[in-house]
Amino acid sequence: MRALFSSAALLLFLVTPGMGQEEAAPAPKPLPVVKPATDGKVWGALVYATNGPATGGSNLKPPADLTDLPDRLGKVFPYSRYEILGQHLQDVFREYESWVVPSKDLFLKVDSKGPATGGGINLHLQFWRDQQVLVKTDAVLRAGSPLFISGPKWREGQLIFVLVLQ
Amino acid sequence: MKAPSEDHDLIRWLDGEMNASELARFTARLESDPALKAEAEFMQRMSQDVRTSLPAEMPVPFGDFFNSQIQVRIAQEDSSTQRAGARSSWLDWFQLPGFATITAVVAAMLIAVAMILQQPPSSDSLVLSTYAPNQTIQVSSFHSSDAHATVLMLDGLEEVPADRKIVGYQIERSEIDQEVAATTLYGERGEVVLVVAKDARNNPRLIAAVNPRG
Repeated sequence: MRALFSSAALLLFLVTPGMGQEEAAPAPKPLPVVKPATDGKVWGALVYATNGPATGGSNLKPPADLTDLPDRLGKVFPYSRYEILGQHLQDVFREYESWVVPSKDLFLKVDSKGPATGGGINLHLQFWRDQQVLVKTDAVLRAGSPLFISGPKWREGQLIFVLVLQ
Repeated sequence: MKAPSEDHDLIRWLDGEMNASELARFTARLESDPALKAEAEFMQRMSQDVRTSLPAEMPVPFGDFFNSQIQVRIAQEDSSTQRAGARSSWLDWFQLPGFATITAVVAAMLIAVAMILQQPPSSDSLVLSTYAPNQTIQVSSFHSSDAHATVLMLDGLEEVPADRKIVGYQIERSEIDQEVAATTLYGERGEVVLVVAKDARNNPRLIAAVNPRG
């Protein structure tokens, strides 16, 4: 019940932006901490690929073991510049759905299907754009082998979703 | 009509089976009985005619066939005798029912195991299946060896309007509230960035708490 109340309070706070500013409502309380079992951890990012100028609004860097991400993207997509717009480090819950949301515009729902033979995780992925699921896929994600999902065109280039098993 | 004893004596006489005394008595009878003598002479001539017209030994009809059949039977009896004596031989395994099927299955399993052992485990991510609810979207996937990455290509996507601002986040961790089936996403400073919930149609609803980059 307390969780429901806190969630409802958070929702009310979020959908009424004026109220939060005028009445200085208290900061939303974090939801009760739950530590469900996990099958691994993934890093997801929304990348803007372009041959033109970058948006200039991001200085996000990929993880240390993925510093060559722009080069690797450049071997698949015909762009010269790759800018990380948002990133998300997410546990892959064993019994619950996980969300990888580097941006509200393009995000991923991840359901674990358990460890894969030979390493990695069997996953069911849903690639969402706002309220529309673009593609559903079953995949095996292995460390060091990212999954590139080509997104829609945007401005001078294209949006690309990157998912990597950590 | 002759008495049976006389017929019997006549037959023994014709076949030469009488001893000397019997022959003397029967010869005396022939001399005294012309009818018996005439019958005896008639039968003797007929017997001689039959013996002269038929060979003393007749070949067995289709002798080669019978001989071959006899040899086959002998060979069969010999082989059955040998099988009975060699019942414990390892060759008996070949006669077990289903032996060929079992052998084929075992061989296939051994080949599969050998192939698996010879093939190094893949270190690449794999796309096993794809489905796009919107039929205007074409999905394909491939592995890029150069990029050492797996690519899921979506063609036919509607472009994002150029004037739309893409807001990115930096999410570091998340927590699940099982009671309300919501996930809270936290930023690098521990602040609440997003709450992911579901609407009545089970579609995700992203509720932004802060806009760190917008």
